[in-house]
Amino acid sequence: MKRLLGVALGILTAIGGFVDIGDLVTNAVVGSRFGLSLVWVVAVGVVGICLFANMSGRVAAASGRATFEVIRERLGARAGLANLSASFLINLMTVTAEIGGVALALQLASSVNYLLWIPVAAVAVWLVIWRVKFSIMENVTGLLGLTLIVFAVALFMLKPDWGSLAGQLVPSVPEQETAWTYSYYAIALFGAAMTPYEVFFFSSGAVEEGWNVKDLIQSRINVLAGFPLGGLLSVAIAGCAAVVLLPAGIAVTSLSQVILPVAEGAGKLGLAFVLVGVVAATFGAALETTLSSGYTLAQYFGWSWGKFRRPAQAARFHLAMIVCLLVGSAVLATGVDPVLVTEYSVVFSAIALPLTYLPILIVANDPQYMGKHVNGRAVNMLGMVYLVIILVASVAAIPLMIVTGGGS
Amino acid sequence: MTPSKGPLAPAPHLAGRTLDAQLHLMDRQVLDHDGVPVTTVDDLELSGPAVDEEIPPGTPAPVLTALLTGPVLGTRIFGGRPPSARLIRIPWKDVAAVDVVLTLGVSGENLDAGWVERWIRDKIIARIPGGRRDPR
Repeated sequence: MKRLLGVALGILTAIGGFVDIGDLVTNAVVGSRFGLSLVWVVAVGVVGICLFANMSGRVAAASGRATFEVIRERLGARAGLANLSASFLINLMTVTAEIGGVALALQLASSVNYLLWIPVAAVAVWLVIWRVKFSIMENVTGLLGLTLIVFAVALFMLKPDWGSLAGQLVPSVPEQETAWTYSYYAIALFGAAMTPYEVFFFSSGAVEEGWNVKDLIQSRINVLAGFPLGGLLSVAIAGCAAVVLLPAGIAVTSLSQVILPVAEGAGKLGLAFVLVGVVAATFGAALETTLSSGYTLAQYFGWSWGKFRRPAQAARFHLAMIVCLLVGSAVLATGVDPVLVTEYSVVFSAIALPLTYLPILIVANDPQYMGKHVNGRAVNMLGMVYLVIILVASVAAIPLMIVTGGGS
Repeated sequence: MTPSKGPLAPAPHLAGRTLDAQLHLMDRQVLDHDGVPVTTVDDLELSGPAVDEEIPPGTPAPVLTALLTGPVLGTRIFGGRPPSARLIRIPWKDVAAVDVVLTLGVSGENLDAGWVERWIRDKIIARIPGGRRDPR
C-alpha cells in the first residue's frame, strides 16, 4: 500500500513538475499563432525527455554518478569546461526566467508591480533550498502545480468545435506564418519540453534521494506515466490559446495572455486555480534550476554538494546558488521582459542539448559504470534516432533565430 | 622524435591491476574515507626525469607520487604551469581505492585540497542562521 502511494505521488509530482515557465509561455505563444499544428513536436519532446531522464536516472542509480561528473570524466577537463560554461549560462538564464515567472504570476494575483516581487521570490527560493527537505520540496511544488489541470478543464468549458480543433493537429504551416517561423517555434517547443536542467536535476535528485537499482522501476513508472501526462497539460495550454487567442488574432507576449483563456472558460475560480498553479510551477522550476546551477558547478569541480548535507558541509555549493539567485535577480531588476528571457532560454536550451545528451548516451553504454544495467538494444536505437533529432535542432536553431528575427 | 634503435623493451610484468591514467584517474571524483567529495583529479604528479631531460639507460620507471588540484586545472586547460609551490597535492599513499571514484583512506578535513571549502564554510555559510542544521 505504501509502495502504491509512493508510485501515485511520484506520478502526480512528475505531472505537476513537468510544466515550467518555458512550457507555459512557449505553448501559449505557439497555440495563439499556429493553433495545434505543432502538437507533434510536444509528442516528440515528451518521448525524448522520457528516454533521456530514464537514462540519466539509471546512470545515477547504477553508478552513483550524477550527470556533470560523468560529463567531465568522459569529455576531459577542457571540453568539459566548455560544456559547463554553455550549460551553466543557459541554466542561469532559465533561473532568471523562472524567478521572473513567479514575480509576474504574483503581480497578476496582487496588482503589485512584478519588480517588487522579484526580491521576495528570490529570497523565498533561497529559503526553501536552505531549509526544506528535498522530498518535501519536490512533493509540495509538484502537487500544487497539478492545479494547472485547470487549463484542460477550461478547454472543455470553452466548448470548442472539437472537429476543427482536431483538424488542426495535422502538421501544416498556417497561411499568415512562414515555414521559417514554424520551424523556429518547433525548435523552441522541443527545447521547452526537453530542457537540459531537468536532466541535471533528475540525476542529481536520484543521488540526493539515495536511489539504488531497486528504485529504478519506480522512477521509470514516474517518468513514463508522469511526463506524457505533463505533456498533455502542455497541449491543453496550447489548445486554450488556439481556441480563444488565435481567432482573435492575439499573439501571446505576456503571462496575462497565457492565462486569459482560463479566465474566459473557467471564470474566477479557474483564474484562482491557474494563478496558484503558475506560481507553484514556476517556483518549483526556480528551485530546480537554482539547484541545477549548484549541481553542475559542484560536480565539475568535485565540490561537496547536495541538499542531504548540512549547508556547512557543502559550503561552495550553497554559496554558488546564492550568487546565481543574486545574478538572476539583478538581471530582472534591469527591467528586461521575463517572457522574452523565457522565449530565448528555451531556444538556447535546444542548442545546448547535445552537450548533455551525448555523454549520457555514451556512459549509459559503459559497463564500468553501469555493470549489467547498460542500455538495451531498443533503447540504443531510440537513443540514436534522438541523437540525430537533437543535433538537427541544435544546428538549425541559431540560423533560424537570425532568419526569423527571434520568431517575430 | 628520434628514431628508435629497435623495438622498445616490453613492459615488465607487474602484479595487480593496470590503470590508464587518462581513463581511470584524470578528472575522476575524489572522496574521503567518509564518502565526502574532496575534489576532482585535476592533474597527476610523477616522480622521475622531467620533460626534455636525457634519460640514461637503466633509470627506474617514474612513479605516481600525488594527485594534483587547485590552480593546475586552469593551466591544464589554458596552458602554462603553476610554480611547484602552488600545486595542491594529495599524496598517492593516501589513496585507498580506485573505482569509478577514487577513495582516500584519510579524512578530507585536514587536507590542503579542502581549504577553500573550509574558508567559505567558516567565513560565510556557517555564519548564516541554519547553516549547520541537518536537513534530514
